[in-house]
Amino acid sequence: MYSTELVVQTLISGIMIGVLYALMALGITFIYSIMRMINWAMGEFYMIGSYLQYMLVAHLLGPDLWWLAIPISAAGVFALGLAVQWGLLKPIFKKPPELRDDYATVVTLALLLLFRSLATGIAGPNQFTPGSNLPIVMVGPMPLAGARVAAFLFALAALALFWAVLRYTWYGLALRAASQSRVGVQTAGIDVLGIDRMAFGIGVALAGLAGALLAPVFLVFPTNGMVTTVKGFEIVVIGGLGSIPGALIAGVLLGLIETFGAAFLDSSYQNIYGFLLVLVILVLRPTGLFGERGREA
Amino acid sequence: MIRRNFVVAGALATGLLSFGVAAQAQDIGIGLIVPLSAPGDPTGGQLIRRGAEIGVDMINAQGGVMGRKLKLFVQDSQGTPQAGVAAYRRLVTEDKVVAVTGFFHSSVSIAVNEVAKEMGVPTLALQASASDITAKKYDIAFRTHAVDPARVSAWMELIKKKGYKKVAIIAETTDYGIGLTEETIAQNKSGNFGVDIMKVTFDNKATDFTPQLLQIKNFKPDLVLNIGVGQPMDLIIDQATTIGLLPGTPMLISYDAPTRPQYWKLHEKNGSGVFFIAYYSPKSPLSDLGQAFNKAYREKFNEDPVYGALNGFGAIMILSQALKNAGAADPKALIKALESGTFKSWPDAAVTFPRADGVYWHNWVPPILILQYTKPGQDWKDADVVVTYTK
Repeated sequence: MYSTELVVQTLISGIMIGVLYALMALGITFIYSIMRMINWAMGEFYMIGSYLQYMLVAHLLGPDLWWLAIPISAAGVFALGLAVQWGLLKPIFKKPPELRDDYATVVTLALLLLFRSLATGIAGPNQFTPGSNLPIVMVGPMPLAGARVAAFLFALAALALFWAVLRYTWYGLALRAASQSRVGVQTAGIDVLGIDRMAFGIGVALAGLAGALLAPVFLVFPTNGMVTTVKGFEIVVIGGLGSIPGALIAGVLLGLIETFGAAFLDSSYQNIYGFLLVLVILVLRPTGLFGERGREA
Repeated sequence: MIRRNFVVAGALATGLLSFGVAAQAQDIGIGLIVPLSAPGDPTGGQLIRRGAEIGVDMINAQGGVMGRKLKLFVQDSQGTPQAGVAAYRRLVTEDKVVAVTGFFHSSVSIAVNEVAKEMGVPTLALQASASDITAKKYDIAFRTHAVDPARVSAWMELIKKKGYKKVAIIAETTDYGIGLTEETIAQNKSGNFGVDIMKVTFDNKATDFTPQLLQIKNFKPDLVLNIGVGQPMDLIIDQATTIGLLPGTPMLISYDAPTRPQYWKLHEKNGSGVFFIAYYSPKSPLSDLGQAFNKAYREKFNEDPVYGALNGFGAIMILSQALKNAGAADPKALIKALESGTFKSWPDAAVTFPRADGVYWHNWVPPILILQYTKPGQDWKDADVVVTYTK
């Protein structure tokens, strides 16, 4: 018989991990909603964010300034995203759209391999941790690592800021317009390639932010973005491609289903429960929970 | 003009290819399949690789084998059977190796042996412990490592010695994790230990083990057996600390990862108190080969070698002696030589691969130790030896 305490602890654990999953999915869905392309190297931007966090905390700023390292890491990934968009993606977006998907797939898959190989070549295959001085925090009956709670709060703040920028700023309005009609935005005199550049930069920076936040929780190594990418794509399918509220809700849903499945059904299938949910959603609502509404947002 | 360029390029390419084949034919190729990326244990793979590379350099510095240089072909198994099998096929068909060694993960070793028994090139597993690797009695399968029954016997001795009554096992769903879990349950029954065992399993690609650890905490065990390899093993230590399972409940790590220099970098605050399996202690005597390796390794890496590196080196020593005995770089002759010979490796004990019963077929087992860190940052050489188990 399971205790109430175990159920509550599992609930808290599921929500916490779900919000962190959502941050990853948000980047994927945001880039798709603007550029209509899938960035297969998203996990590698997560990985780069985690390495930047580790290097800053372990070798430059020290563990007390971990919070300062987080925006710097995200900014570093943002700058890398701008460079990738300008150097590798922009040329094809200047041309007619027929081959964009194929080209973007090839480029981002190549980036995936390149970044992963570079990480292994430069830092080796070993695991690292930036460490954390934060104490264990009690959330109800659940003891949680301070770093995990901090990651959760940072993620919530980032999601709120992201939503506010999209909702209340002129640039957010332009981004939302581009997500509805690229041609319409161009006819209004907005530089759609500039919008692309910012969207790609912001999207990968969200992944880099997730990597930096989770570096002390899930460790730093060359393939640490692999799992989060898979979760990100699951969330995108569940929530609806291009839907920002969908990403958050689906992230929490996935976190809860995995955690409860592992705790109360069979823990061997922890990663399978999410795929089952994806299958159910694809059968019942192929556009995802918020797919259509997300395109209008 | 274009046609002439093509002819010249073709001739050059043919010449280069012929030269490449000829150069390769002079060397004796040995394959090394180890995990160099996740979800495998890349540190484990890297340590074996370091040892094997020093071994090849030492043999070649002494003139090679039968007047030919050894050449090591390294492949990344990623800890997955499919990548391991692809690596084996490539080593045999393209690189023409005479033997393939390495094998850190049991699932990889078991899967490769199924292909190897058809292709005929012998395998020498160095850190994969599942029974099926040798218990299937394939002619091509050899091993110099602790097998599941011996490893479990060692920790059952610890459980008995400490008087633990409730033991929780958290194990990955691989041949390694499942094999050790089943063997523990079987020995608990056959040996009438009377231990109440709880088991939870996980996919080795998972990163959040909180649900499993909450279940274990609810069970209130006297000991947690951490049967994860690589990053999951480390994450389980951290996440068990977070939910308050560690340090109150002792944890036993199922292999020698805590002997690696990386351990204290990852577990500076929560690494003390854990028990862990090891197969070598600096107090164990080394052969003259082992001492020479120890010196070479320290000079090259500025640290003491651990078991993985020693065993990687040992494999090259064993294979080079067997090749000499065989008198030819031929896999079939090599298998016969391995079966009939007595070899010198890093330990101060003869290594043999008899056609013995069950899991001990073609298997040399090192002594198994259970060590315990008693203070933070402790050198593994100073860790307490809690159990010494010899088969």
